Amino acid sequence: MTKIDEKNIENKLRQVIETVDVANALTEPLTATIDSLLKTSAAKMNSEEASVLIRHGSEGDLLFLCAIGKVADKIVGLRLPAGKGIAGFVFSSGQPIAVSDVGEEESFYAEVDKKTGYSTETVLATPLIYSGNVIGVLEYVNRVGFAPYEPFTPEEMELAAIYADTIAGIVNAYESASLFKDLSKRILSEEDSSSFSDIQNWLKKLRNTTHHKDMIELAILVYEISHRGEAERNLCKEILNSIVNFTDNNLDSKFSRL
Amino acid sequence: MTQLRQFSINSDWKSGAGKGVRIAIIDSGVDKNHQDLEGKIDKSYEAKRDNNKIIFEETDRGDTAGHGTACAGIISRIAPKAKLSSIRVLGSGGLGDGHAFLAGLEFAVNEKFNVINLSLGTTKPQFAPPLHDLLDRAYQSGCIVVAAANNFPQPSFPSVFSSSLISVSKNSETDYFNFGFKFGEIIELTAPGVNVKTTWLNNGHRKLTGNSFACPHIVGIIALLLEKYPKMTPFEVKTALYSIAISNQKQKN
Repeated sequence: MTKIDEKNIENKLRQVIETVDVANALTEPLTATIDSLLKTSAAKMNSEEASVLIRHGSEGDLLFLCAIGKVADKIVGLRLPAGKGIAGFVFSSGQPIAVSDVGEEESFYAEVDKKTGYSTETVLATPLIYSGNVIGVLEYVNRVGFAPYEPFTPEEMELAAIYADTIAGIVNAYESASLFKDLSKRILSEEDSSSFSDIQNWLKKLRNTTHHKDMIELAILVYEISHRGEAERNLCKEILNSIVNFTDNNLDSKFSRL
Repeated sequence: MTQLRQFSINSDWKSGAGKGVRIAIIDSGVDKNHQDLEGKIDKSYEAKRDNNKIIFEETDRGDTAGHGTACAGIISRIAPKAKLSSIRVLGSGGLGDGHAFLAGLEFAVNEKFNVINLSLGTTKPQFAPPLHDLLDRAYQSGCIVVAAANNFPQPSFPSVFSSSLISVSKNSETDYFNFGFKFGEIIELTAPGVNVKTTWLNNGHRKLTGNSFACPHIVGIIALLLEKYPKMTPFEVKTALYSIAISNQKQKN
């Protein structure tokens, strides 16, 4: 590969990364704001866990978008089938409800509890309504402290409806930003294939090399480290830069380092 | 031409059990195998899409959410001899939108149920005019529709309509005969809806809070009234309820 080709591919790769960055920059502050609202509202509601579920697909399924509490990491990304459980009902009916004595049976949130190891005992679920449409569900689960938990009160139900009103606006913005994110991904992978054909060819070539598996593993490692926090990201960058500087003179081209 | 008539009620209606009264529960379905509901569910229908139409067929599928079963438990506790039917418009299969809800209500009106429990609503304004027309039709044909209010700043249809249906919000009372009345407010009747213990899926029970559970209390009360006074019109039922509620409040004070 000539120096000019490499420069060309490098520029286009930068474009790809910048586009993905812009898309992420649109959604991440929104989920961070929802997390922050969940923390504030859960404290006010004296609730141990809180989560926001959004519509997923056209069949009425729900997806945990954000959560706070002990099992937040395990909940985010879980899907609930249409119409199932309290959240499913609240989503399809638009009616808020509070349920207590859930612990009497296994059937209630068995699937979610099985995956998280958590025990759901009392729930308050309220719909997220934007422009007359139900776009998700806000849930508060259990109380701070130990079971048996006090049921959620009618006053807390009204308070939850106010939080839901604010969160619904942010969820709507998140959905719009996600559309842009999906669109940019599609543009990069299909629609603008002529412009990015160099990169695609380069990736194809890369997959045929014996180094490919190693490189994928390295990429996954970097990806995992980069999601552990800012300190870990900085440390990772420093180490990688040191390696790059050390080996710079021994490599043929800047691009083959990838 | 129907003659205008005077009517009055005695408190003996309270000893009834809702015998002969047909009630439709438009909701997530009802688990008719629940031990507390055995023999009390007359028919179960389910909404299905047939090309561009929504049709209703008899079904054995019960309830996946629990909400309809909870409403049925409340009604049958007050009116154990009423004939309950489930019209499922919520649940899997992409249903649960305003169209299925509207179609379910139309089906219930056409089937001439005496009372319809509507612990549901929609905030979509495009459904307001057809719902209004349908409720007028129900009112004129003698079908009493009871709807739950919602807790939001946005209006929920049909509960905000005041003429042709009865709307209910929750109170913290435990005695279902002790329902209340708030004249001048959009939602005029209040009934128990806080920590109400009722039937749930898998032969279980739950304590539930929400306007959804105030609505079936009033449906149960209407079943008792209709057993004693089967010729009462929707207007008379509404008037009787207001009158009883005011008398409840006077006794309280």
